[in-house]
Amino acid sequence: MLLAFAAAPLSSRAQTNYEIQVYGADTVPPETLMVELHSNYTLDGQKFVVDGVYPTDHQEHETVELTQGLNDWSEVGFYIFTSEQDGHGVQWVGDHIRPRVRVPDSWGWPVGVGLSTEIGFQRSAYSTDTWTWEVRPIIDKAVGRWYFAINPALERTWHGPDVNQGVGFAPSAKISYDFNRVVSGGVEWYADYGAIGNIAPIHTQQQQLFVVTDLNVSPLWEINIGVGVGATAATDHLIFKAILGRRFDWGRHSPVD
Amino acid sequence: MISRRDLLKISTLAGLAPRLTAFGHDAPAPDHTIEIADVTLDLAPRHTVKTTAYNGQAPGPLLRFKENQPVTIEVINRTDRPEVVHWHGLFLPPAVDGAVEEGTPAIAPRSSARYRLTPRPSGFRWYHTHSMAMNDLSRAQYGGQHGFLMIEPRENPARYDQEFFLALHDWGGYLLASDDGAMNPSYAVATINGKAMGSGEPLRVKQGQRILLHILNSSPTEVHWIALAGHSFRVVALDGNPVPEPQTVAMLRLAPAERVCALVEMDNPGVWILGEVRKHVQALGMAIAVEYENQSGAPRWHQPSDLSWGYEQFGGAPVGGNPAEPPTVIPLVFDSKFQGHGAMESWTINGASYPDVRVAPLIAGRRYRLQFVNNSVDDHPVHLHRHSFELRRLGAGNDSRGIIKDVVLVDARTRMEVEFTADNPGASLFHCHQQNHMDRGFMMVFNYA
Repeated sequence: MLLAFAAAPLSSRAQTNYEIQVYGADTVPPETLMVELHSNYTLDGQKFVVDGVYPTDHQEHETVELTQGLNDWSEVGFYIFTSEQDGHGVQWVGDHIRPRVRVPDSWGWPVGVGLSTEIGFQRSAYSTDTWTWEVRPIIDKAVGRWYFAINPALERTWHGPDVNQGVGFAPSAKISYDFNRVVSGGVEWYADYGAIGNIAPIHTQQQQLFVVTDLNVSPLWEINIGVGVGATAATDHLIFKAILGRRFDWGRHSPVD
Repeated sequence: MISRRDLLKISTLAGLAPRLTAFGHDAPAPDHTIEIADVTLDLAPRHTVKTTAYNGQAPGPLLRFKENQPVTIEVINRTDRPEVVHWHGLFLPPAVDGAVEEGTPAIAPRSSARYRLTPRPSGFRWYHTHSMAMNDLSRAQYGGQHGFLMIEPRENPARYDQEFFLALHDWGGYLLASDDGAMNPSYAVATINGKAMGSGEPLRVKQGQRILLHILNSSPTEVHWIALAGHSFRVVALDGNPVPEPQTVAMLRLAPAERVCALVEMDNPGVWILGEVRKHVQALGMAIAVEYENQSGAPRWHQPSDLSWGYEQFGGAPVGGNPAEPPTVIPLVFDSKFQGHGAMESWTINGASYPDVRVAPLIAGRRYRLQFVNNSVDDHPVHLHRHSFELRRLGAGNDSRGIIKDVVLVDARTRMEVEFTADNPGASLFHCHQQNHMDRGFMMVFNYA
């Protein structure tokens, strides 16, 4: 899922982790609202102001995500990004909207397939690129106790220094294993290679690997906890992330529906 | 562990009864012939399904036998897979009952078998494949191998002017993640007598008629609720056995393999829908028009607002006192084993899966009480081969008498008790009739001492 707001040039961009998640192909059912809180704390990140963007070191990001199911193959999500940091207090960072569609289960495809697009604004104090657009294909598959997902996302800046860079490539992927009905564990990988056709040097790429656990305590709840390390100079080095989600059925549900 | 596939091979080679032959023998003509073959069926104008069926149709041909009058049936397997036909609800010897777990020989690919059987008891039974599907949601009961079997009684349970046989079935299965944390089958099309709503002929009736509906749920996994708009049902038999207290109800509930016989007074002229009560299932096609003579127009439907059903309403009055010899109690605890969020669960009875489930052998002539304890979050339509049982204690703890069945739905996280008399010696299979559950361990064999 969305890892960074801006696409490139990576060397001049502050890394801004607000929602760290690999999308699965499922969508929220109709007449259902999914409320998620993404809490990400950068234990070891960028320590300097770069191009007017605040450093990420010791930044606490709280993101509220509201996702409404439209029908059994589409949903729309809305984000409120915030940041808390010594010297800056609690700040509103920006908002995004994210429509998503998927291939219905009844088509019988061997893998889950979806397509997400995300458009939004973020303040220049938190990202040099203030208006961005992302298109994220989603492919996933659950096989026995194993789960695989890949999101080869494409990003485009609409307003900001990277507007002429073109389309950036920011893939992410996940593999996990169900230890039992409740506890799953795995790894998530997030990368940003910069512009397609002009791949950034390794040290300016973003490469992060998270060790995560998903706790499937109830169909109503979503819990994901992880610790991630950045492998390049342009990546925050140590991040703690947590996602807590609750599903609310607000429609009139009858046994005959 | 011996899989059913292994058993199929073993029993195919064993040369057990019934008589198995390659094509082209010179025996006298059988009374009935059933041909198992792959077919393409039109469920709806834009929905065909490649499946396996009996005599090229689903449901297969209605077979009418006379109770206790021996009959010969030739079953020809034109597929490339071993097959076996189970005569559901009959008291037959294990060699012909139609379950390889009991010792019925499988019919090898491109060969045939001839069954000589004496049908009993009377009532509405059915026949169907008893093979495995595992991960192929087009095989076994997911396909079209099911048909009606009517064992003509000496006396009909009720007077009627016309009768209809209706099979509820789900097609085009695919796996869907469920709230229980596992994958479960879901379906693309739902039909009555192999046709989605609007694709088949209506049931044609006349005002003033009393019709008798014989409804079978042949679905591989799904429970169905059925209503007939503008009318009510007078339930006279469950699983082919007359109930002590016939009742008039607004809707019927049928778990997989269950049957209901119900009378309907045709006293409300028009064109009506008989179909699934739940909107999303009816939208998949599970409905059929009921058309009065000289009536036309679009079929009408009255949407019920709730689901209602209970076995207890059909039971007789409690019998006082204690029996001279109390039945021997056999506890059977049902539970699931998690296999991953990307897999269907496996199933256990008393902590073990087939073929490792063990209980003490039955003693012929003794009365037994099966105590079902369903610890899982799924409902289970459990079926006992070669015997019928009496419902004795239902999920809510109510005592019951006189309801005789061969399948009963044990609701999730409930208990139920049934009794039967061990009066038909030989291996008798007991299993959940959900195809995915029996495929994954929810089976056991009762043996006689």
